Amino acid sequence: MGRPDGPRDGESTAGTRTDGGVADETAAGDLPDAAAGAASPLARLRRSEFVQSIPFWGPPGLLVLVFVYGAVGWNFLISLTGWQGLGQPEYGDLSLGAYRRLFEDPSFAAAFRNTAVLLLLFTVLSLLLGLALAILIDRDIRFENTIRTVYLLPMSLSFVVTAIFWRWMYNPVDGLINEAIRGVGGAVDAVVFWTAVDFGVADALTQAWISDPRFKLYAIIFALMWQFSGYCMVVYLAGLRAIPTAQYEAARIDGASAVRMYLRVIVPQLRASTMSAAVVLMVFALKAFDFLFVLFGVNPGESADILSVMMYRVAFDRRQWAYGAAIAMVLFAMALSVIGPYLYLQHRRGDL
Amino acid sequence: MARLELDSVTKRFGDGGDAVVAVDDVTVEVPDGEFLVLVGPSGCGKSTTLRMIAGLETVTDGEIRLDGSRINDQPPAQRDIAMVFQSYALYPHMTVRENMRFGLEESTDLPADEQNDRVESTAEMLDITELLDRKPGELSGGQRQRVALGRAIVRDPAAFLMDEPLSNLDAKLRSEMRTELQQLQADLDTTTVYVTHDQTEAMTMGDRIAILDGGELQQVATPLEAYHRPANRFVAGFIGEPSMNFVPAAVEGGALTARRATAGDAFRYPLPAAAADAVDDGTDVTLGIRPEDIVVDAVDVDPDHAFEATVEVVEPTGSENVVHVELAAGPSVVATVDGLQQVRAGETVSVGIPGDAVHLFDARSGSALHSRSLDSVDLESRRVRP
Repeated sequence: MGRPDGPRDGESTAGTRTDGGVADETAAGDLPDAAAGAASPLARLRRSEFVQSIPFWGPPGLLVLVFVYGAVGWNFLISLTGWQGLGQPEYGDLSLGAYRRLFEDPSFAAAFRNTAVLLLLFTVLSLLLGLALAILIDRDIRFENTIRTVYLLPMSLSFVVTAIFWRWMYNPVDGLINEAIRGVGGAVDAVVFWTAVDFGVADALTQAWISDPRFKLYAIIFALMWQFSGYCMVVYLAGLRAIPTAQYEAARIDGASAVRMYLRVIVPQLRASTMSAAVVLMVFALKAFDFLFVLFGVNPGESADILSVMMYRVAFDRRQWAYGAAIAMVLFAMALSVIGPYLYLQHRRGDL
Repeated sequence: MARLELDSVTKRFGDGGDAVVAVDDVTVEVPDGEFLVLVGPSGCGKSTTLRMIAGLETVTDGEIRLDGSRINDQPPAQRDIAMVFQSYALYPHMTVRENMRFGLEESTDLPADEQNDRVESTAEMLDITELLDRKPGELSGGQRQRVALGRAIVRDPAAFLMDEPLSNLDAKLRSEMRTELQQLQADLDTTTVYVTHDQTEAMTMGDRIAILDGGELQQVATPLEAYHRPANRFVAGFIGEPSMNFVPAAVEGGALTARRATAGDAFRYPLPAAAADAVDDGTDVTLGIRPEDIVVDAVDVDPDHAFEATVEVVEPTGSENVVHVELAAGPSVVATVDGLQQVRAGETVSVGIPGDAVHLFDARSGSALHSRSLDSVDLESRRVRP
């Protein structure tokens, strides 16, 4: 212990041993070894930060590796087997049959298209609505906290709950939306045509929102937007708060109108907020399963079918395990194509 | 090219009983091409005044005129003014070129190639041509400062407004930019209102300075006039570093007497004739004397105006020593002496307060009763003009 090297080395070995339960048998021979030469590769390895940090990231890393990436890999393997019905998959005979079948399946094409529409429309509309709300709320209004909470609240509700809410809202007979249209439409009839006769303005506008194939998907997008625009608003609000007031003032002095000031100076500075909110929304849109499942069960019909519902239907309702696994791989690839660029950009900017 | 007038401009925040008056009845005229510095301590209303001229704050009362026409109700965009912000407020997502062109795009109908020409020539003038394609985040503080100036200059406005533009720079860069900014303003000959809390900047840069305190205008004068002929005690204390010494005293038979708490001879200062004429016997006044006018270790001072004193602290700055002395007769004063003059703490020295350098202020209102006599100082002299 009198040697300058001794205490530090002993300490680090003890640390490794207590934390990770490794290097037990080497501990006894450790001190002479270190004294023999700090250059000894074994000793250097033991002192390196990489080895010493293993106890901290090792176990969680291993769990993720097995249960996430391992499961993804196993799922891919299953998608190659042609496994269906009861029984066990046969790993001896692998083929891309399930994927070939995807391209020929019209219901997959419909589900894929719906998923893409949902992904894009839902994300873009929620972002726009959230941005508009954030800009309005950022203007030093009264009751700002209350209003912010009101907008954010839907986000805290379970999707099962909101789906049931919206099923009531969209009810064609006594749902709130059609009732409101009838009320306003009746008033329009009465005012515009000066008569109590029903000219059908209301009837033309009331619809069976979630049964009619023309509106189904858009009714779902609208309901999801209601739930998620509050989240976008909060993300944007944080971004807006980070922009100094001098930026607004400089733009005003430079002669920009309010609209052009926001378009050219403020909104471009919200790129980071847009990116992170968009990624969250898109990933959610890909797995918007519970909302549809509560509304329609396993079969929403071709006009509202999305990949996550189709995957569940194929795998757990029809027990075509391999085909379901193939759809899952498509979903996985889509999610990866959303997350990948984001992670890459973050990495390049040094945020990771 | 414009004459800027503030006519009884008042700004109140809030209304009714809790209204806070930020700017109170300020009247200043800035002739075409003048560099006016608004100076005062924090919270004196100088920034609010500037923001009212810019159109970022509404005017509660009074009128702001640019070349004779009232601009109170015009939005900032229509006022033909450019502003440099303390934080520069460069748009981080645009390159320097886009930053400078933004104002031209938004406020003029110039064709694109002329906009580019103006950006290029302004950049050349400020020596930032090689920065044009970088973003503000890649620039140093001094470079950002130049870009912020360029963004104002490129619009060729009727007036520049600058809100403490140098306060984010380090000391060396600040004094360089100070000189450059003066030269630039003199070359462009554009009416400029410059806000600062730094009295050195005010003294060195302004054609005239307007000193504000508590929202009220204290004095508008050339820097030397404000220095040598301060309108009141606040101006006298604010302008000059270290600031003027003040000794409260009463006038008794042509001399000043300071009351003192402890026993012993009271401080007694016989007034020269000119000063004695300015005050009535028996009134309370404040004696003001600038540190550099005090002579330490006096040999050739009128014995009436020499006092025995103990040196308490010596602060050497190299070129001069700031000496804190306590007069045997009571008051403590600060004096500056030549940096090579040997003064040691604890020494007993003779301190001279020359009669022609004293200022007298009314003890209650603070307004100047008598200013120092001057032989040959041109108070109106300008420092930059070709």
